[in-house]
Amino acid sequence: QDVCYLLFLGQSPPEKPKLIKCRSPGKETFTCWWEPGADGGLPTNYTLTYRKEGETLIHECPDYKTGGPNSCYFSKKYTSIWKMYVITVSAINQMGISSSDPLYVDVTYIVEPEPPVNLTLELKHPEDRKPYLWIKWSPPTLTDVKSGWFSIQYEIRLKPEKATDWETHFAPKLTQLKIFNLYPGQKYLVQIRCKPDHGYWSEWSPESFIQIPNDFPVKDTSMWIFVGVLSAVICLIMVWAVALKGYSMVTCILPPVPGPKIKGFDIHLLEKGKSEELLRALESQDFLPTSDCEDLLMEFIEVDDSEDQHLMPHPSKEHMEQGVKPMHLDPDTDSGRGSCDSPSLLSEKCDEPQAYPSKFHIPEGPEKLEDPKTNHTCLQAPQSTSGEGKIPYFLANGPKSSTWPFPQPPSLYSPRYSYHNIADVCELALGMAGTTATLLDQTDQHAFKPSKTIETGGEGKAAKQSESEGYSSEPDQDMAWPLLQDKTPLFSAKPLEYVEIHKVSQDGVLALFPKQNEKVDAPETSKEYSKVSRVTDSNILVLIPDLQAQNLTLLEESAKKAPPALP
Amino acid sequence: MKGSLECWSRLLLLLVVSNLLLCQGVVSTPVCPNGPGNCQVSLRDLFDRAVMVSHYIHNLSSEMFNEFDKRYAQGKGFITMALNSCHTSSLPTPEDKEQAQQTHHEVLMSLILGLLRSWNDPLYHLVTEVRGMKGVPDAILSRAIEIEEENKRLLEGMEMIFGQVIPGAKETEPYPVWSGLPSLQTKDEDARHSAFYNLLHCLRRDSSKIDTYLKLLNCRIIYNNNC
Repeated sequence: QDVCYLLFLGQSPPEKPKLIKCRSPGKETFTCWWEPGADGGLPTNYTLTYRKEGETLIHECPDYKTGGPNSCYFSKKYTSIWKMYVITVSAINQMGISSSDPLYVDVTYIVEPEPPVNLTLELKHPEDRKPYLWIKWSPPTLTDVKSGWFSIQYEIRLKPEKATDWETHFAPKLTQLKIFNLYPGQKYLVQIRCKPDHGYWSEWSPESFIQIPNDFPVKDTSMWIFVGVLSAVICLIMVWAVALKGYSMVTCILPPVPGPKIKGFDIHLLEKGKSEELLRALESQDFLPTSDCEDLLMEFIEVDDSEDQHLMPHPSKEHMEQGVKPMHLDPDTDSGRGSCDSPSLLSEKCDEPQAYPSKFHIPEGPEKLEDPKTNHTCLQAPQSTSGEGKIPYFLANGPKSSTWPFPQPPSLYSPRYSYHNIADVCELALGMAGTTATLLDQTDQHAFKPSKTIETGGEGKAAKQSESEGYSSEPDQDMAWPLLQDKTPLFSAKPLEYVEIHKVSQDGVLALFPKQNEKVDAPETSKEYSKVSRVTDSNILVLIPDLQAQNLTLLEESAKKAPPALP
Repeated sequence: MKGSLECWSRLLLLLVVSNLLLCQGVVSTPVCPNGPGNCQVSLRDLFDRAVMVSHYIHNLSSEMFNEFDKRYAQGKGFITMALNSCHTSSLPTPEDKEQAQQTHHEVLMSLILGLLRSWNDPLYHLVTEVRGMKGVPDAILSRAIEIEEENKRLLEGMEMIFGQVIPGAKETEPYPVWSGLPSLQTKDEDARHSAFYNLLHCLRRDSSKIDTYLKLLNCRIIYNNNC
């Protein structure tokens, strides 16, 4: 009946309380707090009971007061570390009992200290050193740091009063800290908190204030004065140096970009646009191709009467002026000059046949590649790689032995021509294996030195003959040393063309043949230009037919029979 | 005999020192400041390093336990089964500050050594079995491996400290043997997880004990109770 009355009044057993947390400030005591549920309208008592690990006895909370309302305080006597506590809170009222869920607590892991105490702030101005703020504090009470039972770490934060962001500093173990670089005239707030080595952070201590005086020297100014003066001095020196040697310094630091340069070639020729000068200049350069030519151990003989003169009319001029009759129209003719490196006939860098065509003009790389077989055969022929024992190679050339024919317009170049040239050269090389050494070494200047050919004695002619003979043996090729096309020289008002050098007589007369178109006829049927009429200012050698050439022809024929016997 | 012991102790010292430094990433002070011919690491340095290693091991154990709890033990009530489950509970370890302060440093050191030795075997198996757990987070496995290594190093360092503090020490006392391997390998997943939970719980506790005792000894012996 009483229960019904109580229920009528809206009373009920208490709601289950809930344990919130337990905390130990120093690993020596701990406190637990709970949250009561609804009391059901009746006065409710709360009881905390606990059990320790390894024991069966149930104990009641020894102290409900020290920790405040709804708390239980375990003093040192009742606190064990490394032992689990099973804690339960019960709410009892007239209507019934409600017990909370048990809380398993190991004091080791619930350590949360109080904030540090005795926070003191002091401004220090030591002489000869930077000024600073000296912060000191003490560890919180209830923590036994001295014996080592409790290990602690600290954290300090400070900020000017009006600022929003804190400046945080960490201080392991030591109970003091020095702060530098404070702003004068500001009021600073300082707070500190701590944490055990294994546990929770404490709350922040109450704020401490310190006013930095306006005349607080923030930095060591003497050093900055020195630095400023030094910088000014250095700037002045630099300005002075620049003023004196501005340009040269600039060029030293930023060297001008070098323009393209061909050794010995005046780039201004390009600007002027004078092609003939350009070509002339080019031909006088050392356009040494790469050593791709080295595979074919051929040697050039440069036909040149003198160091500075060209033997032939400058074909480039003709080409440039007229653009007709490219000398290399005939694929079989070797209108190109030996444009390759002297020691080798094949060169990837060899340009198209040049103004000074030579029989063994080595075409450029692609053509070379087209004829690997030829290359291979060529390789077999020569014995040495440089100069010695090479197939003599006649060139009408410029002043230098390694002069290269200047580049021709592509239209002038016939790939087929080059192919033939290679083949021709190779065969020639093979055929002429014995007839070299005395003939001009590529390292010689302008190979064509009559004296040299004569050195071979009487065989000089024979050598030449044999060479021409060898050349003759190639019906498809020009046998002689083609230099120009078969046109009359300039003086006859015909267009310049290449002629073949037939031979050089002992008195230095160059016997030339007009360039044969398709076949090489018997020399006797050719017209011979064997006399130099003049040398034009553009280094063109003007030749005239020589009646004496007929005699030479005869000589040649007779020498044909003689076996080539050059040393 | 003594010469070789000295030699071994120096070697172990160098090992402990270098490993401790590597683990803690601290600026190393020279191990042999007087040159190799006169290599004597001070007891202070030995203790400093031992404290660092024990601190580190306890951190790792706590983290590993928390990770495991988060991953495998939520709402399972494993904690109820963890009571009285530690194999080292037979060791008479002090359980509050007063007891610890009244325990002689020899006893404390023996207890530390006993704890360290008794964990060699369980740690080895822990690593093996954790590796075999499907989907085990690397946070757990990597820490298990690390703890096993650090435990060995700390044991060596402690043996050196023991040799210095208590010259002519007695033979090693017997230590508790762990026999929980079958429960780690049981097929029942819940039972297995419970076994792991217990082991990690005990590891966390024992590493805390070792750490606390060492810090006590450090302050007592080196700093004369004035840390």
